Amino acid sequence: MSAELLRTLCYFLTGGFLIFLAITITRDNFRSRLNRVTGAMLFFAGLGPLFMALGSVLAQSATAPLGFEASPVYKLRHLWEFFFPLLLLFSCLFPFDRLSRAGYRYIRLAIFLPPLMHSVIVLFFDQLSSALDIFHVDPGDEGLSSLVVQPLATLFSWLKLTLNVLRGYERSIFAVISIAYVVAAGYFLESGRKRVTNPKILTQTRWVLTGTRIGLGLYLVAQLGWMLAPRLFSEGVTSSLLVTALLAGSGLFIFATIRHQFLDVQMVFRQSFVNTITSALLVGVYIVMVVQSRAIVASMFGVEAELVSYGFIILLLLFFQPINNWVDDLIRSMFMRTRTDHRNVIERFSRQVISLFDPTQLRQTIEETLKTTLLVNRVYFILYDDSITEYAMLPSDDHPRRVVIDRQDLMLRGINLLDAPTYYRSLTDYSPGSDLATMLETRGVRMVLPMKDADHLLGFVALTEKAAGYRYSSEDLNLLGVLSNQMVSALTNARLYVESLERTRLQEEINMARQIQLDLLPSNPPTIDCSTICARSTPSRTVGGDFYDFIKIDGDRLGVVIADASGKGMPAALMITQTQAMIRSEVNNGTPIASMLKNVNQQLAATTSAEKYVTLFYGELDTRRGTFHYANAGHNYPILARSDGTIELLKTGGLIIGALPHMEYDEDTVTLGPDDMLVLFTDGLSEAMDENEVEYGEDRLRQLVCNHRNQKAHEIMETMLNDVRSHDPTSPPRDDTTIVALKMNGTISAHE
Amino acid sequence: MKLTDREQDGVVVLEPKGKIMGGPDATLLHDKLYEFIQQGRTKVVIDLSRIEWMNSTGLGILIQGYTTLRNSDGQLKLAKVTDKIQSLLTITKLVSVFDAYDTVEDAIASFN
Repeated sequence: MSAELLRTLCYFLTGGFLIFLAITITRDNFRSRLNRVTGAMLFFAGLGPLFMALGSVLAQSATAPLGFEASPVYKLRHLWEFFFPLLLLFSCLFPFDRLSRAGYRYIRLAIFLPPLMHSVIVLFFDQLSSALDIFHVDPGDEGLSSLVVQPLATLFSWLKLTLNVLRGYERSIFAVISIAYVVAAGYFLESGRKRVTNPKILTQTRWVLTGTRIGLGLYLVAQLGWMLAPRLFSEGVTSSLLVTALLAGSGLFIFATIRHQFLDVQMVFRQSFVNTITSALLVGVYIVMVVQSRAIVASMFGVEAELVSYGFIILLLLFFQPINNWVDDLIRSMFMRTRTDHRNVIERFSRQVISLFDPTQLRQTIEETLKTTLLVNRVYFILYDDSITEYAMLPSDDHPRRVVIDRQDLMLRGINLLDAPTYYRSLTDYSPGSDLATMLETRGVRMVLPMKDADHLLGFVALTEKAAGYRYSSEDLNLLGVLSNQMVSALTNARLYVESLERTRLQEEINMARQIQLDLLPSNPPTIDCSTICARSTPSRTVGGDFYDFIKIDGDRLGVVIADASGKGMPAALMITQTQAMIRSEVNNGTPIASMLKNVNQQLAATTSAEKYVTLFYGELDTRRGTFHYANAGHNYPILARSDGTIELLKTGGLIIGALPHMEYDEDTVTLGPDDMLVLFTDGLSEAMDENEVEYGEDRLRQLVCNHRNQKAHEIMETMLNDVRSHDPTSPPRDDTTIVALKMNGTISAHE
Repeated sequence: MKLTDREQDGVVVLEPKGKIMGGPDATLLHDKLYEFIQQGRTKVVIDLSRIEWMNSTGLGILIQGYTTLRNSDGQLKLAKVTDKIQSLLTITKLVSVFDAYDTVEDAIASFN
């Protein structure tokens, strides 16, 4: 095989390859202008090598007529120069569309004039030349006709001269024009790249630019070399350089297309494209080998053995399938690792979002995914804000202010009805009078992605047009549908996480409140002469609405408080803390008991609503006199069990504290004898219920205390708690439970 | 708690049924009373015969109702108070605040 033949084959392959690529790109998305322009550009680029191959074949062919270069078909070879204006057009479309905006319509057509002229001159030089001769004027002819004809003849002779010059130097002239196109295209591509922000488009642009740079560089070297040093740059060298330039440029275009989804060519097409090329190459190699089998066998064995060459062919065919598969896999693994495959996107996205609980980070991931995989230019989030129970458009780079959306907004209600990603243009029915619609339109939104959890709209994502003007394909819509479902679960997870953090924090606060409450209760019952006291309080929740307190007034007197706020938990605890503080301050001021309750009631009634109240019992034990001076503000009657078995109830007092203002209270005094027992309790004990909702009851409690009146203070407390617990074993108790037990010593004797 | 109401001789008779406890019961009674006050009907009798049980919060609801009506120059009276509630009213000394009657008719008659 001569070098000439190899080169011809190379030209032919390059041309075919480019034209095939052109057809694939155009066919996959004919509606996209970028695809059309790129397709046309590659098509004309392919024509060049094809004609070079043709020329080379004809030149070598022994049977070719001399002067084949004048044949009409071969004259068409200059058509490939349309590649240059198309390259310029491409550079104006990618990565930014500069054409749609301004009215470059005529310029767009004008840039095709030079190659058109070139082709016309080459094709029709003879006809044009003779047509310009029609006004030939004989030197001796003078008259009227010559007056009209003369200027025309002069003009035409000038035109003919121009034509001759163009014809004579056509190659240099049009080479210079082509170089100008190339330089302009390079400039536009370069300046376009600087404006690219989308990371994926940036990668694509880099590959496309590298390809263009290599191609343009080689082209410049070939053309300038031919013009400046024609001896060095023979026809063969120049055309080889041109073909290499085209091959390098288009190769990197293809790499960008397949690996980085440059141009709107779908996955299926890109895959079949690679398969077609590999199969074609393999079949080509096989054909050569089969055709040459005889020669190969002859060179191996030194003889021509027809049978062996058949065997060789069969052997080759047996290996065809495995080799084809292997090459397939190899190329697939090289190209298809691309992360633009939608399955990969979904997998990667779900892997990322599952571990993201920070809503801001989550939104960034969503935005990045949409920008890199779908090449969306800008992404806006409109989310439901629990704290203000309104929807709000979150700040973005171009609109840094957060905008709250009226819940009655027509567009919002329209989007609420959606279940799947929807083109914004199909929502125009909801635009009239809608502020949201105005906002979306000024931001150039094209696509709306509702995120629904059951029937509740968590919000939606608004997408602008895709980069470089690509359309949203049906593949994209499917992907967006799956992504929005994933976003819903991710957003819900993030919200639950935040809520659980909040709950933990609240629980910690309540635990601290419990500690404060425990600290407010007397840590040890006071030791006093002539009696023993003990007390216990168990809240039904972490904090409770019961409290008891012992206040040492002087050496002989001890104040005893038990109280129960209505309700349970934190509200009750807050009220009880306030009451305790007020009681302590009144006792310290030495206020008489009835006035003290009146004051506390007045303050509490003024600061809380009527339904919040406290039942409270306050008594003062005077050890010297052996008396107990008390007032009962609506509290369960404390039980005084005399040593002889009689029961007295301490009822005197007045209304519960905090319900109504301006209340008066009475006070009373009882004398405590030896071995008398006084038990104070809250309704958590008397109202404990068994499984049949039967109350334990105050009567039973009184009887119990009476029966065990000989026990010590801490014993009677255990007895009561155990008996109530056997009635209602619920733990912790359903209601706050508090007991204070006071037992007089046997040796007590009243003074005076 | 379920709440029905009727009018007899210019007096609203409320008939709660079940248990009076906290939470939604409070809003229910409060909203009802507020509605009556808006309509200028401020004489109210609560028939407690079908109340099985009442806790401290339930009692708070009654006090709130009493206060609300009194602030609108109205009055809240109780009728057919069960033993359980009677003892609750006694302990808390609310017997001195609420007018309680054995029958609804007596309660209505007391307004005239």
